[in-house]
Amino acid sequence: MTPARLTASTEPSLLQSGIQIVSTVIGPDLHGGSSDGPTRPARCEWIAALCLTAAVALLLVVAGHAAGRRAYDVAPLLFWSGVVLLVVPLSLRIGWSGVARGERLFLLLLLTEALFYYKSVYSPTSFVGHDEFLHWVATDNLLATRRLFLSNPLLPIGPAYPALEILATAIVNLTGLTLFAAATLLLAVLKGTVVCGLFLFYEKLCGRPRIAAIAALVNMGCSTFVLFESTFSYESLGIALCVVTFAVEAASRDLDGRPRLQALGLIALLLASLAVTHHLSAAFAAVYFGTLAGFEALRRGPLRIEARLAMGFTAILAIALPLVWIEAHGNPLTGYLGPVVEAGFETLLGKIMGAPSPKSEHLSVPAQPLAVRLTTLMAILLLAIGLATGFFRTLAMTAPSVGRTGWRPIQDILRRRWRDSRIVVLTMFAFGFPVSVAFRLTIGGWEIGNRMGTFAFIAAGLLVAVSVVHFWEGHARQRIAAALALVIIVSGGVTASSLYPIHGGYRVAADGQSVEPMGIEAAQWTKAWLGTGNRFTSDRVNRLLLASYGRQDVRLKVVEGVAPARVFENETLGPDEFWALVRSDIDFLLVDLRLSTAPPVLGFYFEQWEARHGKKLSGAELLKFDDVKGVTRIFDNGWIVIYDVRGLHGNS
Amino acid sequence: MAIPSHRDLRAACLWAVATLVTVVVSDSVFLRTIVGAPMVLLVSGHAVLRALGIKTNSVSEHLTYAVGASLAVAIVGGFALNAIDFLTPLGWAIWLFTIAIGAALVADRRTDTPDLPTWPAPIRGNLRQGTAIALAVLLATGGYALAIRDEATHRQFRYTEFWMLPSIDNSGRLTVGVRSAETQTQRFDVDITIDGRPFAVFRSLILAPGETWTRQIPVPISADSQKAQARLYRPDDNRLYRSVSTLVPRI
Repeated sequence: MTPARLTASTEPSLLQSGIQIVSTVIGPDLHGGSSDGPTRPARCEWIAALCLTAAVALLLVVAGHAAGRRAYDVAPLLFWSGVVLLVVPLSLRIGWSGVARGERLFLLLLLTEALFYYKSVYSPTSFVGHDEFLHWVATDNLLATRRLFLSNPLLPIGPAYPALEILATAIVNLTGLTLFAAATLLLAVLKGTVVCGLFLFYEKLCGRPRIAAIAALVNMGCSTFVLFESTFSYESLGIALCVVTFAVEAASRDLDGRPRLQALGLIALLLASLAVTHHLSAAFAAVYFGTLAGFEALRRGPLRIEARLAMGFTAILAIALPLVWIEAHGNPLTGYLGPVVEAGFETLLGKIMGAPSPKSEHLSVPAQPLAVRLTTLMAILLLAIGLATGFFRTLAMTAPSVGRTGWRPIQDILRRRWRDSRIVVLTMFAFGFPVSVAFRLTIGGWEIGNRMGTFAFIAAGLLVAVSVVHFWEGHARQRIAAALALVIIVSGGVTASSLYPIHGGYRVAADGQSVEPMGIEAAQWTKAWLGTGNRFTSDRVNRLLLASYGRQDVRLKVVEGVAPARVFENETLGPDEFWALVRSDIDFLLVDLRLSTAPPVLGFYFEQWEARHGKKLSGAELLKFDDVKGVTRIFDNGWIVIYDVRGLHGNS
Repeated sequence: MAIPSHRDLRAACLWAVATLVTVVVSDSVFLRTIVGAPMVLLVSGHAVLRALGIKTNSVSEHLTYAVGASLAVAIVGGFALNAIDFLTPLGWAIWLFTIAIGAALVADRRTDTPDLPTWPAPIRGNLRQGTAIALAVLLATGGYALAIRDEATHRQFRYTEFWMLPSIDNSGRLTVGVRSAETQTQRFDVDITIDGRPFAVFRSLILAPGETWTRQIPVPISADSQKAQARLYRPDDNRLYRSVSTLVPRI
């Protein structure tokens, strides 16, 4: 009987202790390791040392690019040691306890601007990102014609969101700087604004500068922070306006009467600007403020009618302004975003349901060094742990019974009793992080996951920061582990930001990595010798160069229903493609023979939906126009050939 | 120490005047950047914050809101100036001047304009720390300069551009051009044929890297379409190097 009794008494206790452990790990306990330490005044010796370290780190990054351009083996060592030297000391100091608020904020700004420098030295005198070319062309058109809303064939939705171009034009016009210099100045200011806005937003929510600084630091772990949101593109401005709006709204939560109305005035101005800046940022602000108003309406507890009315009014503005703007421009959004969203969801659902994946999903992703991949994976894992251990703790922060032990604070939340709806909404939005990671695992859904990650990280940052301060730092030894985890998360943002962060040689169909002087000079030749505004078509990268450096009118379709890929692929020009060229108004074709040297890095040469995704083109396919009557080869530099096709439609 | 009310408003007005004057009288990029960039990115927004009566609790908060408001002011300005066809340097200067002066006047008339937040106490540092920060700035600037130099000097591909174009005005001329982007000076020959018949030859063209050679060649025009072809040879290695063609305009 004794053994049986022992078994019977052991089983429940094991289960109980298991539940106890899980409850301790993910539960809403805010007591463990929460000490922030006494705050000391800002320490100049730390600031000076970290400024010097960051400068040396950036010099190593520059040296890494220089070595990479020359294909030296030492390039990765120089580059990545620079990254480590930049990220590690600054992240450790920002997250450390007992650091003055001002010092934290200064170091956050230093790290942000250093990361912007890191992005800029990849191409220090010209735009290189795909989206940057689209906005460069639009801004150039605005500067030349002094008119808004001009069509942009490379970004059809662009004219409906001209705020970035307006700002760049204002700086160019007032200062006389080149567009690239003006854009760099604007982006540096935007990056600083984003990180300050995030810090202020989090600080208003949780009331603790350290959690705010860690949350802002965790945001740098987003794959879009280092590169994507630092490009001359409308989302860089959109996210800045979004964050400032959130910070102003959060700061106005305790205001009443006239000050509240004044804050609403500023929020309205910012939301109106956001509505004309970037569709997704405006949509995110609308979802955030709409959900916030909904949760505030659900909330039980002390009623502040004025605060609820203000939230409701903000939500109406955040939702109505973008909708009115979209309708005023004939709703170009559905046609632009619809196919991307549809393809993304289809791919992800297909993957989950085990359906056969489309051809585009079979691309081999370029391999990164093992350490880089491990850092990215570790960062995602740590973020996931941070979310799991921070979810209930963040909710508990806003529960009326915050000081109570056990699950009582969560019971309060379930009874719709909380103090700040913003924290509850952000906690719910953190679910966007795993969803964004799932999308990023598919090629079709990558774009959705990438954009979604930017916004999901605003929520995830808070949860991870609360978890770091209230759970991970339980003991002195864990404090070091938590600091290292933060370092890995920020490093993950750097490693996940680009497939090829080190400047290397030309790569085929790899956007920024395919932009180099020979292609640029060929595009400049077209401007010098053919004049501007000729109708050209080519591959994706050369289209960008022709539109920007060449000021040509590039076409994404030969005629309706015939994409350029159909004309360039195959060793002979089929009758459909020939007659499409004859019927079209295309003047010139630019052929880049380097496309035949390797398969496309991004999986496509011309457009994402091209039929032979990922397969290498041959030289014979590209040079078939030599044998077409009426087509002449007017330019040749050994790699790039320009064909004059005006003879096909009698314009010559 | 809190900044006494309205002194900042006078500074904003002065800045707006300076921007307007600089844009009108100066072509100096340096001067216009020093004055114009803060006007677009900070000063106008600061004046608007003061006009709205937004109270901020820290300098960082005030600066962040001021930048946000400045961006909004400039965006609204873009639409306003576009509507009156005045998206010019002067248009921008007048817009920002109007906003800054107007907002400052509104803020000046308000009785409830909140004081600006208190400036944080200056951080005390010694000479060694100051030197370290100056060295850091120097290193970062030098690093950027090195990156610019490296990008300008490094070229992966070496090549020669060769082209032939018909005249735009159908005047019966062809333009033939060669531009060298090779590593060293090279010698070229150019042969031109029309409908397969030899038409012109240019021997021993010596081109240094970066040099361009062009010729306009009169050609007989006829009612029928003729195809002109040009070949670029490198006599040193006896190699056909490039080949281009064009249609000779018809009568």
